[in-house]
Amino acid sequence: MASFFSVAVFFIYSMLMFHPDIERGILGEVSLIGMVGAEVVLVLFTLFFLYYSMSAFLEARSHEFAILLHLGMERRQMNKLVFLETMIIGSASIIVGIIFGFSFSKFFFMIVREILHLDKLPLYVSWQPFLLTIGVFTSAFVVISFISVYFTRERKLRDLIKESAYLNSDSTYSKKRAVYGIALILSAYVLAFVVSNTSLIGLSLLIPLSAAFGTYYFFSDTVPCFIDKARGKREYHWQRYRLLSLAEQTHIMKDNVKMFFVVTMVSTMAFLSVGVLATMSSYTTQYDRLNPLGLVYKGDVDNPYERNHINSLRIQLEEKGLSYHLSRFVVVKQTSSFTNNEVEVFRESDMNVLLSSFSYPLLDLSSGQAVFIPYSEESLKKLKNKVVHTVLEENAIPLTIDSVYPKIVFPGSIVSVNSIVISDEDFARLIKPIADQDVLQPTYHLFTFYIPQWIESKDIGQDIDELTASQSIEKKGKFSPYYFENAGLNYSYILATYSLFTLVGVLVASVFLLAAGSFVYFKLHASLEREKRKFDVLKRMGLTDTELKKLVNRHLFPQFFLPWGVAMMHSAFAFIMVQGILKDIANISIVKEVFFAFGFFVLIQVIYFYLIRWRYISHIRS
Amino acid sequence: MPILQIKDVTKVYEGKVTHRALNQLSFDVEEGEFLAVMGPSGSGKTTLLNIISTIDEPTSGEIIVDGMNPHMLNATELAYFRRRQLGFVFQDFNLLHMLTVEENIVLPLTLDQQPLEVIEERLASIVEKLDLNSFLHKRPNEISGGQAQRTAIGRALIHNPSLILADEPTGNLDSNSSRDVLELLTKVNQDKQTTIVMVTHDPIAASYCDRVLFIKDGEFFNEIYKDDRRQMFFQRILNVLSLLGGGQVGDLSTIRLP
Repeated sequence: MASFFSVAVFFIYSMLMFHPDIERGILGEVSLIGMVGAEVVLVLFTLFFLYYSMSAFLEARSHEFAILLHLGMERRQMNKLVFLETMIIGSASIIVGIIFGFSFSKFFFMIVREILHLDKLPLYVSWQPFLLTIGVFTSAFVVISFISVYFTRERKLRDLIKESAYLNSDSTYSKKRAVYGIALILSAYVLAFVVSNTSLIGLSLLIPLSAAFGTYYFFSDTVPCFIDKARGKREYHWQRYRLLSLAEQTHIMKDNVKMFFVVTMVSTMAFLSVGVLATMSSYTTQYDRLNPLGLVYKGDVDNPYERNHINSLRIQLEEKGLSYHLSRFVVVKQTSSFTNNEVEVFRESDMNVLLSSFSYPLLDLSSGQAVFIPYSEESLKKLKNKVVHTVLEENAIPLTIDSVYPKIVFPGSIVSVNSIVISDEDFARLIKPIADQDVLQPTYHLFTFYIPQWIESKDIGQDIDELTASQSIEKKGKFSPYYFENAGLNYSYILATYSLFTLVGVLVASVFLLAAGSFVYFKLHASLEREKRKFDVLKRMGLTDTELKKLVNRHLFPQFFLPWGVAMMHSAFAFIMVQGILKDIANISIVKEVFFAFGFFVLIQVIYFYLIRWRYISHIRS
Repeated sequence: MPILQIKDVTKVYEGKVTHRALNQLSFDVEEGEFLAVMGPSGSGKTTLLNIISTIDEPTSGEIIVDGMNPHMLNATELAYFRRRQLGFVFQDFNLLHMLTVEENIVLPLTLDQQPLEVIEERLASIVEKLDLNSFLHKRPNEISGGQAQRTAIGRALIHNPSLILADEPTGNLDSNSSRDVLELLTKVNQDKQTTIVMVTHDPIAASYCDRVLFIKDGEFFNEIYKDDRRQMFFQRILNVLSLLGGGQVGDLSTIRLP
């Protein structure tokens, strides 16, 4: 079932990968690499998963094999049998998966088209995706069947016949490692905090490592230690079904340490990839607010290209039929006596031209009064109640800065951290340039184009971009006399990477999630016979139906939610770290999105839990 | 007053081949009696035991345990009935492997939510009576078959059931362990006046009982009562068994003399 699903997903993605339109599309190389990467991850994971499910399957049937061997079947024949069975299952799942994948690929293409904002993405038929899928999965199944055959060889016939009634539930934990487990996890969390606060990226390499080891020890020693402690206390332990469930936990923990570890790690990765997706989506929605201007052109006073460039931009915009408002600024840098740092000074009337095009409230400043220009959401809050008395030192103009403009007008990359607007009278008195000679661009011109349909302006000004690129190669790092930013183009880049991440992330997360659940299910399936007998005994001893359900709950609950809970914790801390780093770079908050993603996961898990519980109970009752 | 009454119980298994496992079987078991049920394979012994233990329902007829018919109860009441009135001893012990011997014994009481003092008190008396002290903290896979069956008997006894049902309790044991277990059951039966119904193949096991009931093809065949001497009783059991087999002795299990 799960292998069929992964075949289907793989096929759909390879359909997309070989799609002729995509290759020519805006995504180009990057997306191809991304998708190939996703497919490699998928195949590796499928390989691992298939191996696991095959061995669980063979384990469940070991008794049958034992009888066959007892009847005088040769080893070689049995290996052939296992191999053949694996291949039959494999080819069936490949065929069904491809049929399923093909029939859903149109639907998938429609979704992709929406995400990527492509005009059309027709269905096509070509041999490549079929060949790739069949080739990859056939080889995967062959490898798996060889491996599983190889591993069944090691068991003795006598052990096989005995039907593995032997169960050891003695917990062999060591207290030292139990403490170790918790300590490692905690230290990983502490490290995450430290990194997010001091941005020591080097340390961040340690975090996954220590978290991984910590998780392993946690499952192998810490939890058994706790259970054993609980079993030691009779007044707690000898009550109702605690006796049974605790003993069972010991056994489960001992048996499934590796599986729990894998599931935890896998689900952590799934959480993280979904969390990153959520972050990306929040970034794109916030982009509009942070970048209100369509095009920004910034140049020195003596910029030789200025007239040409502005004219070409205007012509291009007119050709496209996009309406725009052009505002021109003269920005002067001065030194503030308050901080002794440079401050960029804007003129009130220049500012009002731009504000009127946004239809934002206009400024009305008297002499000696000034207003901060916010560069981000956060600065808006920070500067809100700040009152500063300062003097622009070069021209001895005293100023009182008592408010901040309530909207973000310029994108963060354009204005400096210290930007203020002063009245026209004061601005006219700014005669002397900034005293510090090393300052670049003591005065500059700023042209802003406010374009209501800014998303469509992505092709505008490409010649300027190209010129910039060629110049920066020629001049090798020398400061270019102008700077050009196109929000529409940037947005399309961001959108493209975002949608790529969505595709890859959704793929990986869905397969991971499915697999994590299936691991648990396979494990349960392998021990079903034994469990059935156990519940049979209990039923004879007088276990009511509700008690049976409760017992099953306690049996299944930790298997599901312990690894996922730990994974949740891990990813929560990972997100705290990511949030810390993102705050410095992109200045966006992902708390809401992460909460949403986590809530979604919890929901899925609960549904999954009840689904499997239902199957399990009906198996046990039958 | 009989503690267990079987009245005209018939059990028919419907299916592709309709099979009548029990046919109008009737007998009573008095309180404090140790009854063995014998019969060849397929004679309906296990079906009978399942019906008494309320796992299975009779097609017709009724069963009365301690004055009430458990098949009239609903599922939850039935579970409570089994939990308090019945004790089980199985051929393959059916101990839970993840629990220690001690925990296996107290399991019925914990399920019944008894307070810890009661549990410990009962456990102490059972341990003393069955002499389980040497392996109390071991696990079922670390002890011998005889010890395992003693544990199972302890589990069956700890809640003072009015009726113990034993299904081939000596089936998986060597002769020494068998003797131990049977003597233990006899002792329990005499000391506590616990009623025991034991299904068995083994004439030696049957010879420890007060009365042996023979069934054949789901119908009552014969019954014999205990003698003064166990050796004589055993001989008579063998006689009936050979009669049961229609004069051929092929149906008997190998006879081990004590």
